Amino acid sequence: MSVEDESRDFERFARPHAAAALRLARTLVRNEADAQDVLQDSFLRAFRHFRGFSGDSPRAWLLSIVRNVSFTLWRKRERNEPGEPEPTLEAEPDPAPSAEAQLLEASDAAQVHAALDRLPGLHREVLVLREMEECSYREIADILGVPIGTVMSRLSRARAQLIKELVGDPRSKN
Amino acid sequence: MNPFDEHPHGALHAYLDGELSLEGSLEVEGHLASCSSCRRELETFRALRRLLQSAKSDAPEAESALMRVTRSVRARRRRTFAFGGAVALAAAALVAVVVVPRSGAIVQEVATAHARALDTGRSVELASSDPAAIERWLSTRLPESVPPTAGGDGFALRGARVDSLEGRPVATVVYQVRSHLVDVFAWRSAEKDMEPRPTVAGRWTVCRWSHRGVAYWMVSDAGTEDLKALAALIKEQRT
Repeated sequence: MSVEDESRDFERFARPHAAAALRLARTLVRNEADAQDVLQDSFLRAFRHFRGFSGDSPRAWLLSIVRNVSFTLWRKRERNEPGEPEPTLEAEPDPAPSAEAQLLEASDAAQVHAALDRLPGLHREVLVLREMEECSYREIADILGVPIGTVMSRLSRARAQLIKELVGDPRSKN
Repeated sequence: MNPFDEHPHGALHAYLDGELSLEGSLEVEGHLASCSSCRRELETFRALRRLLQSAKSDAPEAESALMRVTRSVRARRRRTFAFGGAVALAAAALVAVVVVPRSGAIVQEVATAHARALDTGRSVELASSDPAAIERWLSTRLPESVPPTAGGDGFALRGARVDSLEGRPVATVVYQVRSHLVDVFAWRSAEKDMEPRPTVAGRWTVCRWSHRGVAYWMVSDAGTEDLKALAALIKEQRT
């Protein structure tokens, strides 16, 4: 196959997931220039290997590459900082008063992004993949390389924590 | 009977996410019907979902980034073609009068050139892993040259030098695989395509082949499989 055909095939393969790839990169590296670098590097890597791709979900495959590239960048940039530890099991959230839903309704996008930024990366990414990209548990498990049970427990902790950040923060209440 | 003695915290998430079987969903719904605390919790999670979806950013730049990558891949290939095409035309007249060298004599020359380069520690006159830089360097020294192939698959591009074979200057591009250096001599030729069949000649493995108007000689102390792999890489990058 010529490079011409191959690159067109790759465009068709990757284009539907390009925006999701950039959003995940932004979630993981938190700085636009780095996110763009991660994206470009991920596309290049994906291009080199997509002929060998044989899985079910091109999106999960592409996003797992974005995640690996992001982590490589982290290790390079933040060698001195300890990596984000796997969050320890927290107490189950209290039953939510209905007021919480109303407080959430009153939050805006800037508050959501600020609250997301305060979460550990492992919580941030699982929320973005599930709630924004609407990935299935199976896809998330493939992207993160963890069992589905871990996806479920991480997601429930991440939701509880984000709610706490949004509702518990006095700045988000007005 | 309500299957949940306690609140179905985990299942509530799976229910919200549409990950439960029909049976599981019915069980959760049965519990929700009688538990206001879980209904409130579900309501809160749904509000969180709406909020996150409304905060989902557009990323139109992502598609442009994809196009930049694929365009650059194509452009790199087109440059190689354009250059090769021009040289091939210019060389056509020359090739017509160049007698295709007999392998017996040239194999000796090829091996000697390789050995001399190794013995004198002058494997490359230009050390570079950049095919474009090597191409520029060669184009100023030779009337015709073949754009070198970037490395890959364990072969690192090390650089180039100019050798003399059959009394003509030829481009020699040097690759390294593990600890072995491989010299690749290449010139424009009218001979028809010939598959690489490496043979061992004394200290050296040598391999002659032709592909799309370029004749190649390769010599190395690497094995025959290595030379086949490098020939395949060069072919692949030219197609």
